[in-house]
Amino acid sequence: MKTGRYRRKSWPPAVRRKLRRAVYDFHVRTFGEELARVNFQPLAKRRRYVGEMVDHALRKGMRFERPALGVTP
Amino acid sequence: MILYKGRAMRLSFAELERFYQDLVTRARDQGITCAITSGMACVEFGVAETTKDCDLLCTPESSKKLFDLLRDASLQGQLPSYRGHLTAPLDERWLRGGWTSHFVWNAGGTEGYLDVFGVAPRSSAPWQRELEGFYACRHTVAEMKRTNRERDWPYATALGAQMIEAGDARGWLHIFDPDLLVALTRVARPPARLSRLRPVLGLAVSGDSRLRSALHAEVQFWHELDRVRLGIYQRAVRPYMRTVTRARLSPEMGLAAQHETRVRCAEKHLPLNPLVDYGVMRLIDDARAAVAELVNPAALAWLPDVREHFNVAAE
Repeated sequence: MKTGRYRRKSWPPAVRRKLRRAVYDFHVRTFGEELARVNFQPLAKRRRYVGEMVDHALRKGMRFERPALGVTP
Repeated sequence: MILYKGRAMRLSFAELERFYQDLVTRARDQGITCAITSGMACVEFGVAETTKDCDLLCTPESSKKLFDLLRDASLQGQLPSYRGHLTAPLDERWLRGGWTSHFVWNAGGTEGYLDVFGVAPRSSAPWQRELEGFYACRHTVAEMKRTNRERDWPYATALGAQMIEAGDARGWLHIFDPDLLVALTRVARPPARLSRLRPVLGLAVSGDSRLRSALHAEVQFWHELDRVRLGIYQRAVRPYMRTVTRARLSPEMGLAAQHETRVRCAEKHLPLNPLVDYGVMRLIDDARAAVAELVNPAALAWLPDVREHFNVAAE
């Protein structure tokens, strides 16, 4: 699939706003209000939030590693 | 290092992320084509996912150089080991065939997990054609998220939505949430050629009531494709796993010695590309037959042509 043929310059502002609204509603519905808010924050804040979440879970004994199957799902 | 109740804890997420990014920088400086993907890429792209493992794509022809880099890559003074009996050696021959090499840096409170693979599962084009900084591009990451794990799908959809917002129409291929798909098609239209690749887009555009059922069938189809693919590799790895288990590899051996033993075992017992041996069309037919038992038969008419998603793996 050629990348360039599927690119457009930008959406008109009104379309952009409606797209953003629909996408934000999806994030709220799927990930919950708090994570939706985080997902739309700047990268540095987002990273800090995820970092704190992971570090907190580790302190509570949660393990993240997946089984080593020799193949990736 | 995090201190908790006076004891040293595992590395923080930020420290691990810096370590992996530094690894990618050093690898690229040495001419190795590689990119971080999956969970860490999702965090970067604005779809928060709790992960601390690093999935790294590396072109198979760079695997020797990457292995040499990893052999000396110290994390908090510790060198890596291979992880588990199923892990394939980091070698061009097996990386090209869709196998994954798993590594761990493990000592006391310090743990880092790295999975290296050469072929991005389900990727419709070579992943190395398009990168975003340290990371594989959103399109590749979203294709990789079409797994048999339910929890991965919202990430694919979220990445697809970002692509549409950014003016990349390929994002329409990744929207699997019916409500979002309907909402987006009320505002914008996918190009006709994408509707040919993904027939459910036509149902969304025309407001057809069969959309929900067709989307459900499509997701189940991808689930089955992944289930069948994993089954092929899991069956193929068994003789190798038994030999590696008998070899009693220990972290104290050092990565180079572990590698030599694994390569020897793999040369005798690990098929290079089980997917090619099995047949891509057979895999697709198996998945189609399985999904026919799970969904409304009428919805099968809207399944996409997925052959291009297995071309790279079968090369």
